[in-house]
Amino acid sequence: MSGCSRPRCRAGCGSCEAGDTLEALTHALAAALSLDAIAATAAGTVIGLIFGSIPGLTFSMALALMLPFTFGMQVTPAIGLLLGVYVGGMTGGSVSAILLGIPGTPSAAATVFDGFPMAQQGDASVALGAAVIASTFGGLFSLVVMMLLLEQVAAVAIRFGPAEIFALVLFGLSTICGMAERSMLRGLVAGTLGLMLMIIGLDELDGVARLTFGTVQMQQGVNLLVAMIGLFAVPQIISTFLDHGRVAPFKMPTDVRARLPSMRQLKERLWLMVRCSGIGTVIGAIPGTGGPIAAFIAYDHARRFDRDPGKYGKGELSGVVAPESANNAVTGGTMIPLLSLGIPGDPATAVILGGLLVHGLFPGPMLFRTHLEVIYALYVSIVLAYVVILVVQLWGIRIFVRVLAVPPHVLAVCIIVLCGLGSYAIRNSIFDVYLMAVMGLFGYLLQRVRIPVAPVVLGLVLGETLEKQYRTALIMTEGDYAVFYTSGVALFFFVLTALTIGLQFRSSLRRQSTESGRPEADRAPR
Amino acid sequence: MRIDRWLGPCLLILAVVWLWLVYTQIPGARQPGEPGPRAFPALLGIVLTALGAFMTASAYLPRRNRILDEIPRASLREVLIAAGTFGLLMLYAYLLEKVGFLLATPIVVVLAMAGILRLRNWLLIAALAGGLTATCWMFFVWLLKAPLPRGLWLM
Repeated sequence: MSGCSRPRCRAGCGSCEAGDTLEALTHALAAALSLDAIAATAAGTVIGLIFGSIPGLTFSMALALMLPFTFGMQVTPAIGLLLGVYVGGMTGGSVSAILLGIPGTPSAAATVFDGFPMAQQGDASVALGAAVIASTFGGLFSLVVMMLLLEQVAAVAIRFGPAEIFALVLFGLSTICGMAERSMLRGLVAGTLGLMLMIIGLDELDGVARLTFGTVQMQQGVNLLVAMIGLFAVPQIISTFLDHGRVAPFKMPTDVRARLPSMRQLKERLWLMVRCSGIGTVIGAIPGTGGPIAAFIAYDHARRFDRDPGKYGKGELSGVVAPESANNAVTGGTMIPLLSLGIPGDPATAVILGGLLVHGLFPGPMLFRTHLEVIYALYVSIVLAYVVILVVQLWGIRIFVRVLAVPPHVLAVCIIVLCGLGSYAIRNSIFDVYLMAVMGLFGYLLQRVRIPVAPVVLGLVLGETLEKQYRTALIMTEGDYAVFYTSGVALFFFVLTALTIGLQFRSSLRRQSTESGRPEADRAPR
Repeated sequence: MRIDRWLGPCLLILAVVWLWLVYTQIPGARQPGEPGPRAFPALLGIVLTALGAFMTASAYLPRRNRILDEIPRASLREVLIAAGTFGLLMLYAYLLEKVGFLLATPIVVVLAMAGILRLRNWLLIAALAGGLTATCWMFFVWLLKAPLPRGLWLM
């Protein structure tokens, strides 16, 4: 590419002015596929994967750490680095979720439910393979939607005010009914306990300390990742310690299988991936929502529309595919309000916004007119990041599954250390390590009395947004509740919530009557 | 005995304590008609009260999900292991703060393997304690530049 004196091309190819779409695309490709841009995107993706896969290290943290490195870079490598971290981090969370039963990121919490049982049944590589393929599918699907429907989706997303987001999150919370396993009552108790835990700490809207008992550490509240590490990992550690010496002596496997999901398995779930990617894209486009909400809704959607919902939670591949395609589709979805309106949907995209601003790029409608080549370079960087993810993760599966060759009790001891360090690393706080231990004991006790842990996590994930949007909606309307029933979007989600709860309640009653009618011998305790 | 007959009252007690804490510690709304910082926690307390009452009442109804009642009693071994694991995690937090990561980690690994698991393969224990500490240190501190606790007593 040779000599152009026009200065408007910000993609960094250094050769032109991006006059029309084709020209902009050409120059975006030249910039995004330059050696330094590829290297930066690949490095960012690998860093994101590492941070995402280690419980306690978040990709928002990785993005914040990487931001200063972009200051001296050209625009395209800088964007590539940040997007690589974002996309890699979102995908990496599934690795520890599947192998250790601890979600690396909150977005991977729903992946634990079926991914970890699959690993326990010796199908870790299938789960990991499906997770990375679904993640790539979801990410690229949302990218295509972003490219084709950016204006339309942004127009819909911008209609979501606090009342509509509250209704959406309430609908997300109704998925508790689906996670309640055998008793809806216990599921509701678990969800309420999760919401109660979320209350502790400093109230964001009024700045009031709630149930902190005068301690500074309690003002930080119950960190979501700390709680998840405790709730998911500690009961598992206790269970492994209990099995040690009681079950048959452990034999080191000579061959840990590293096989990928078959084409048939993936083909059967293609339509599910499309649906869940759609869910993820739309939810991602709504500011203030994000990956965890999308993943839980997609998981519940997959379970609800499956012919055999009973197999979920026991190692069903669709239970991995659904949340992974949805949480990665969020990456494209969050870019829609970010690029079209300059609104970051979550902390990670806020850092990316910071990166764009540092390079003099101001997201909004004008960005598409003045720096179209940067937008296209961004699209190419996302595709590149997913190619890197696919290559690195699929190649890495044979290494990842080696973890399972470690005797379970030794792995449990390693997980104790990882739990401690992961909890500490989130906020560099010893208090969080104590909190993780307490949450772990709490999780174990809940399991003992057959209260499911998943709704507790869901309550923790959704609680903050639920309360904040509810209160914001009422503060904005000076306490007028009409805001909730005069909005068509909010009403739609309220009806959906009522339907979900009603249908689940009916099937729960039917199941209970079937079980109570069954002979005693069939009713073995779980 | 049906577990819900004591789980329900436990939830009721928790809900009552929660509501008492909410009303004594969290201030109400600043503007009349708007939900203040107390509204949501109070609502949750009321919901838990209702759920606890429903669970208690339904425990005495004849037709219900009996599978959930059949919870095996915890053995002494289970109680000891659960308490030991919890104690170990609390100790790890304490030691991380006081003696730092480099000393706390091998101590916890040795206690977990020799104390809870009752292993006597000292070579394996030493290798795991040293190897795990070194690997984590290299990964977190050298590679990721993430600070690990150095210990108040040693500073």
